[in-house]
Amino acid sequence: MPTIDISLKDLNSLVKKELTQKRLEEEAVLLVKGEIDKVEGDKITITCADSNRPDLWSTEGIARALRPYYTEEKWLQKYTVLPSNVYLHVDRTVDDIRPFIAAAVLENVAITENLLLQMIQLQEKVCMTFGRKRKTVAIGLYDFDKMTPPLTYKAVKPTECSFIPLDFKKEMTLKDILKTHHKGIEYGHLLEGLDKYPIIVDSKGVIASMPPIINSQATGKVSEDTKNLFVEVTGTSREEVHVALTIMVAALADRGGTIKSVTIDYGEKKFITPNFTPKRIKVKFTDIERIAGMKLSLKELKKYLGRYGYDVKKAKDGLELEYATWRQDILHPIDVIEDLLISYGYNYIEPLVPAIATVGSVDELEAFCEPIRNVLVGFGGQELLNFTLTNKETLFTKMNLQEFPLVEIANPVSLKWTHIRNWVLPSVLEFLEKNTMQEYPQQVYELGDAVVIDEKAETRTKTIKRLAWVLAEKDANFTKAKQILDYVLTGLGLSYEILDTEHNSFISGRCGRVVVNGIEVAYIGEMHPQVLTNFKMGFPVCAFEINISEIFKLKQKK
Amino acid sequence: MKYLLRSLHPLERKIIPFLKNNITVQELIEQAQSSDIEVMRAAQWLENKKVLTIKVDTKEIITIGDLGKKYLKEGLPEQRLLQQIKDKPSELKDIQLEKEEINIAFGELRKKTAITIGKEIAITEQGKKLLGKESLEEKFLKTLPRDISDLKEEEKLALENLKRRKDLIHVSAVKTRTITLTELGKKLVKEKLDFDLIETLTPEMVMDGTWKGKEFRNYDLQINVPKIYGGKRQPYMEFINKIKFKLVQLGFKEMTGPLIETEFYNFDVLFQPQNHPARTWTDTYQLKEPKWGSLPDELLVNKIKYAHQEGGRTGSRGWRYKWNSTTAMKLLPRSHTTALSARQLVKGIHVPCKHFAIARCYRPDVLDATHLIEFNQMEGFVADKSINFRTLLGMLKMFTTEITGIDKIKFNPSYFPFTEPSVEVFVKHPDLGWVELGGAGIFRPEITETLGIDVPVMAWGLGLDRLAMFNFRIKDIRHLFSQDLKWLREARVVV
Repeated sequence: MPTIDISLKDLNSLVKKELTQKRLEEEAVLLVKGEIDKVEGDKITITCADSNRPDLWSTEGIARALRPYYTEEKWLQKYTVLPSNVYLHVDRTVDDIRPFIAAAVLENVAITENLLLQMIQLQEKVCMTFGRKRKTVAIGLYDFDKMTPPLTYKAVKPTECSFIPLDFKKEMTLKDILKTHHKGIEYGHLLEGLDKYPIIVDSKGVIASMPPIINSQATGKVSEDTKNLFVEVTGTSREEVHVALTIMVAALADRGGTIKSVTIDYGEKKFITPNFTPKRIKVKFTDIERIAGMKLSLKELKKYLGRYGYDVKKAKDGLELEYATWRQDILHPIDVIEDLLISYGYNYIEPLVPAIATVGSVDELEAFCEPIRNVLVGFGGQELLNFTLTNKETLFTKMNLQEFPLVEIANPVSLKWTHIRNWVLPSVLEFLEKNTMQEYPQQVYELGDAVVIDEKAETRTKTIKRLAWVLAEKDANFTKAKQILDYVLTGLGLSYEILDTEHNSFISGRCGRVVVNGIEVAYIGEMHPQVLTNFKMGFPVCAFEINISEIFKLKQKK
Repeated sequence: MKYLLRSLHPLERKIIPFLKNNITVQELIEQAQSSDIEVMRAAQWLENKKVLTIKVDTKEIITIGDLGKKYLKEGLPEQRLLQQIKDKPSELKDIQLEKEEINIAFGELRKKTAITIGKEIAITEQGKKLLGKESLEEKFLKTLPRDISDLKEEEKLALENLKRRKDLIHVSAVKTRTITLTELGKKLVKEKLDFDLIETLTPEMVMDGTWKGKEFRNYDLQINVPKIYGGKRQPYMEFINKIKFKLVQLGFKEMTGPLIETEFYNFDVLFQPQNHPARTWTDTYQLKEPKWGSLPDELLVNKIKYAHQEGGRTGSRGWRYKWNSTTAMKLLPRSHTTALSARQLVKGIHVPCKHFAIARCYRPDVLDATHLIEFNQMEGFVADKSINFRTLLGMLKMFTTEITGIDKIKFNPSYFPFTEPSVEVFVKHPDLGWVELGGAGIFRPEITETLGIDVPVMAWGLGLDRLAMFNFRIKDIRHLFSQDLKWLREARVVV
């Protein structure tokens, strides 16, 4: 979710309404699905929840959304695009690299420090979130007076072409820019593996930029002295580059610039950009009523949608709406209905408790677990709740076990949380390790989830419920563990046998496999002193661990 | 008095005959021929019963050390040195004293100008006067042990000198407990104690009736007993159960599902585009092992694909990109409980229906007081033709008030890729102000209609952890998965 910095004074001058900070916080910001993060004097930081509304990620954009709501002004400020003879030729060499481009010229923009900051902010937010870190959309701003059209967008060999990148003094090949310039290092992976890199070059052969990496020092330096701007957007989708361009151009025009078009010449097809032709959508009255849960008159619909930026006309059994071209988030009439409800005000809608009679139930396996947990409480066990994420050291090294394949995280945040446990006992022992200063005896248990690899399963894994019970005290022994295991299993109506087994976590000769109907369901034994030492415990520990999912299956079969 | 007599413990009865004013506990131990622990316990119990008072005097007692004892026999090293050189000066190597003793003797004698130290050690006139004369220190040593408060001025001087020397004397605090009888106590010691009281009721006594006609000793009911800990449910688990119970009462059916999910159910079924920022490395965990799961039947997969690409038959424009089935096969620890709703919607529902899940989810966060690496979400959906935005708000309001006990609620517009309209729920906490509890909305038609569901489905996902923190009034979220046995043992039971 993008966060943007605005000045309230600046915003108010664009909205043409004196909004107080309170009104901004309690009303205006909700209209743009925002939340105020921080206020420092006039400077306000807003988080925008909608990652699909790049048009809102600047003071100009928020102002544009709020103006029809707070003033009588019609929704669609006319963005007049004056024709020009500026051509931009697209060479077929970019087809497989970054095929789409859109551009515009902005004349007589009064460039101030604040405007530059807002433009850079908008450009960054659009490229980061909407443009997926420049992968799908990248924006370039230039001093138009330093360029000589027509321009060409093409791809060239990285070693054959060189220019001085922005903020550098030395001319470098495209290849070297990726290696040396900090933007090259940051975004170079976007061109990885390509034998040609895209550039924009003017009729005199001056290189303007290497999209989506960096502009040239010759044309890319924009300052308060710049009069006329050239804006260009490259990307992987025609629609997205057009949307991003209209957002940038509208913001500059809101600050007083005159828009002039650029003809994008793909050879067989030509497009004139920017294109502010409104988009259209139809919404049925029945759908509005069905989703809103209330009937609104045509007058009301026109009021609420009108002040949310729509041009509303009545059509047969519904509305015919026009809306701004950058609203690419509107996929379906439902999106318009949400805008209607936001404009109406969520908190003015009367909530209605649904009257639907249904029968509730707990999941059967979950319901099976509860009485088992309670039986262990009866024996004096303290129930635990641990994370399922753990690490190799806890699962294998400390348990005295050889490693085997388990679910492993590819991008762990910490080396403590790298694997998902396949049984619960290590988590419980780790808990005891942290509590050696507490009074003994310590009798604790956890009945929770574990995950094992299962090649045949849809998710290549199986999530299972397992119960680990342990007792740590000076005379903890096999008998005490078996007494409780016996009570639990017998109480479930299961007859079992305990077979001698070797398990490195337990003392040899004091460890058993618990088998019901030929199926292994549990381990029981006295913990190996090496394991106790590994977990820094000073008392003997007896334990058992039951595969509850397995027992549940057995019970269901019966 | 009768009650008092009946409440006497055997240990108390043992010392009572020896009690008198101003007797010390030490004397009692000797006279009653009992262990000091037993006498102390009995005396304390009797003090609790207002039979006597125990006065504790702390005295500083000076006792002689091991070295002091030795020197008392052999003479102090300075005196022995004087003896060795009284006739003629002697070289250092000829002096028969331990090395440490020489240092001390030199120091002491030089202070008193009793010797001169050059190539040879020689006695002075002053030294000769000291010869054979018992020093203050020596005299003092012979009087030990002594109470420090009884010392005369010159003895205090000797004490200070001796204190500086190692192991000659020790000063230690000694407690003397003196007993004073109260009026009750004075009467009690005159009573006869030879009557018979039952101390322990044995099975035999119950069987043969020998208890009849006898009296039982009265217990001191206020006595402190050693602490033990019973078994208890984990507080957060109890909280979860409580909420489950409420949901079931409201007619919700529980959903469960695998902890490891395919992106298909976690994202794609929910119409979250494959290039959505939430599907990246920084926002969700990815797996190193195993990496790929499998997809359900092709018919369903194709429906989802077309919904993403061009909106399917739902009247939507779709996300307009090329949907990739391999991406959908990627495995991850589920990042939200909505994955469970996705599974349920795919499996099929019988309208009207209400489903819920309370389940563990994973997000790559750093563990601290406000973030967990694993967290519990509470998810639910209701499908019916009567569902709309107003019933969604109604449900949310009823629900949050029911669970938090707070009825001041507000709804903010929000964005989730899978719901439209979307809303965020806030409650006004008395201390914390407006607190966000979670998000909700109506599932997008691209999801429900694609799966053949023709009624609106409202859904919500609330952060259960935060609700639990409210309930327990804790500030550190880590307590929910507490690793502290003390906290768990002392935690209040949820009501």
